Amino acid sequence: MRERWTDHRSRSLATLLVVLSVAMLPAGAVQSQDKGPIVIAVPVGLSGVNSVVAPAVVQSGELAVEEINAKGGVLGRKLQLVPLDDESGPAGAVKAFNTAIRQHKAHTIITMETSAARNAGAPIAERAKTLFIYTSFYEGRACGKSLFINAWVPEQIVPPLIKFMTDDKKVKKWFALGSDYAFGRGMIEAAKSTIKGVGGTILGEEYQPLQQSDWTAIISKIRAANPDGIIYSTSGGGPNIDFMKQFKAAGLKMPVGSLSIDELTAEAGGDAAEGVYYTGDYFTGLDNPENRKFLDAMRKKFGAGLKTPNSLSEPEYDGVYAYAMAVEKAGTTDVDKLVQVLPTIVFKGPRGQVQMNKQHHASLPVYLAQVQANGKTKVLKSFGLVDPGNQCPSLK
Amino acid sequence: MFTTQLLDVVTTAGVLYIVALGLLIVYGVLKIINLAHGAFLAVGAYAGVVTTGLGWNPWTALLVAFVIGVAGAALVEWRVLRGLYARPMDTILATWGLNIIVVQLITLYFGREIRFAESAIGRAVNIGGATYSEYRLVLLLLAVVLGVGVWLVMQRTQIGIVARAVIMNEELAQALGINTRLVRFVTFGLGAGLAALAGALLTPLVSVHPNLGVPWLINAFMLVLVAGVSLLNLALAALVLGGAQVLVSSYGNPVLGSLTIVILAVIILRFRTITI
Repeated sequence: MRERWTDHRSRSLATLLVVLSVAMLPAGAVQSQDKGPIVIAVPVGLSGVNSVVAPAVVQSGELAVEEINAKGGVLGRKLQLVPLDDESGPAGAVKAFNTAIRQHKAHTIITMETSAARNAGAPIAERAKTLFIYTSFYEGRACGKSLFINAWVPEQIVPPLIKFMTDDKKVKKWFALGSDYAFGRGMIEAAKSTIKGVGGTILGEEYQPLQQSDWTAIISKIRAANPDGIIYSTSGGGPNIDFMKQFKAAGLKMPVGSLSIDELTAEAGGDAAEGVYYTGDYFTGLDNPENRKFLDAMRKKFGAGLKTPNSLSEPEYDGVYAYAMAVEKAGTTDVDKLVQVLPTIVFKGPRGQVQMNKQHHASLPVYLAQVQANGKTKVLKSFGLVDPGNQCPSLK
Repeated sequence: MFTTQLLDVVTTAGVLYIVALGLLIVYGVLKIINLAHGAFLAVGAYAGVVTTGLGWNPWTALLVAFVIGVAGAALVEWRVLRGLYARPMDTILATWGLNIIVVQLITLYFGREIRFAESAIGRAVNIGGATYSEYRLVLLLLAVVLGVGVWLVMQRTQIGIVARAVIMNEELAQALGINTRLVRFVTFGLGAGLAALAGALLTPLVSVHPNLGVPWLINAFMLVLVAGVSLLNLALAALVLGGAQVLVSSYGNPVLGSLTIVILAVIILRFRTITI
């Protein structure tokens, strides 16, 4: 074989082949990039603490992708959703973001994650020049050139609830309590500053370790302080119900505002959380045509396997739509152009109108809701669009 | 305020006593710490979810939980633990492994999200000028009933005498013709049954999810370490440690309060000279 290769004719033929294939290679690559699917990666907590909500997030994304593809996709290309497991934490997020960008050649990352996972993943997306739309409510002030957020920050959720309870429930003297962790304390801090702003007083402030499910001592302190109303922020899920069960069983009757309960938790708690007020940007009971259409489509697509949509999962749907509309308008998936175009996109979805034009955050429709006797949540009223405030002053 | 705090102390002690009782019995006779205790608590709590989901009276959950706990424990003792008594360290691994398996099985079937179990009592009553949770008072009563019941069984019945013989000197008991294998089998079943019962009793206080047993296991473990194998010591330990936790939480804060049980347990163990 070696002698044959030294043959002049063979060698020139080989050279020609190499030259030809090299010349064709970039053309082929460009073609596949332009005509192949636009890949949307969803690194989400399929395992770990977020595993209760993660399947609902993926389902919201799948519906949006299916609907957009049914109408011919974006720029003549199909969308493709790639769910990945970020294990609900930073280490898993690093793996998932790298897999998304290197292996799946993701054009964008649109997902709901824990704050720790987001903080680990965002720099990876930034370095790889990949647009990252974060769809989880969070503590606020996460900023990045290619990071956009379409869910609420405390400034949008806390003041409306406090003001409602002050004006309509005549709560002047408050008792604030929460689980002892960053998000719980952050929400209570936001509540305290609003309470001071409207002239209320705080009679007591207590935090309970995350592991501790017996609220006896704090409930006795509430009883001794005798406030007009309660504002609390536990960790998500169970602790809300732990506290409310024990609060009710102790015979306490003052109005309660929650910064940590959600529809699924309230329903799983039966009558435990009856009467609790809370605010949010999405409820399944929102009475608007977009939400009814969204819920019908979800039920039709997933049938018995449907995970109930909620305020952590629905923004994924909005995020995919906003991205698709931005790509269509920009005519490209190039991140530098999309960063310019995305803030101009207005998507009217199940939550209402969402536009990420406030320093990469969005003014959001905020609603007041109350848990009913059967655990279901009833939307009482809308506060209209609420501004996120100054989240990232260095960004437009 | 004083009445409320007194009630907080005694009812917290009652809850701790109920939760730790099964662990203590197993430790006394089998000389092993059953780290699957938390899993049996969860099993009992889910028994509450299923029975009240079927529309049964919430009190029936107690019986169902106890029976399931005993049945599960019988299987485990027979297939897993029986071969490990000569190797106490391995029983720690085996029971902790069992804990993980049971919790995962529950997660597979019920999911990780919280579940709803109906409460038998959700009212508050007036006692000594203070409004207080009726259910916590009922728990206190049940703790006393369970404590006295188990004590009577140990003192007044043939099974109890045999069990006490095994606790005091197992080899001698064996030499006297006592079937220690049967004693271990019955005791482990009873201990796990009591754990499941405690789990069902907790559902009106806390939300039901697969890992609900873990924090309770830690507290129960501390109590048993301090109490040794005596029922009276357990009641005393629950009162002192639980009471200290409530008082520190009330006058200090709950973060310090949750440390109290652990710190006091360490101090008591350091200065406890009588071994039981």
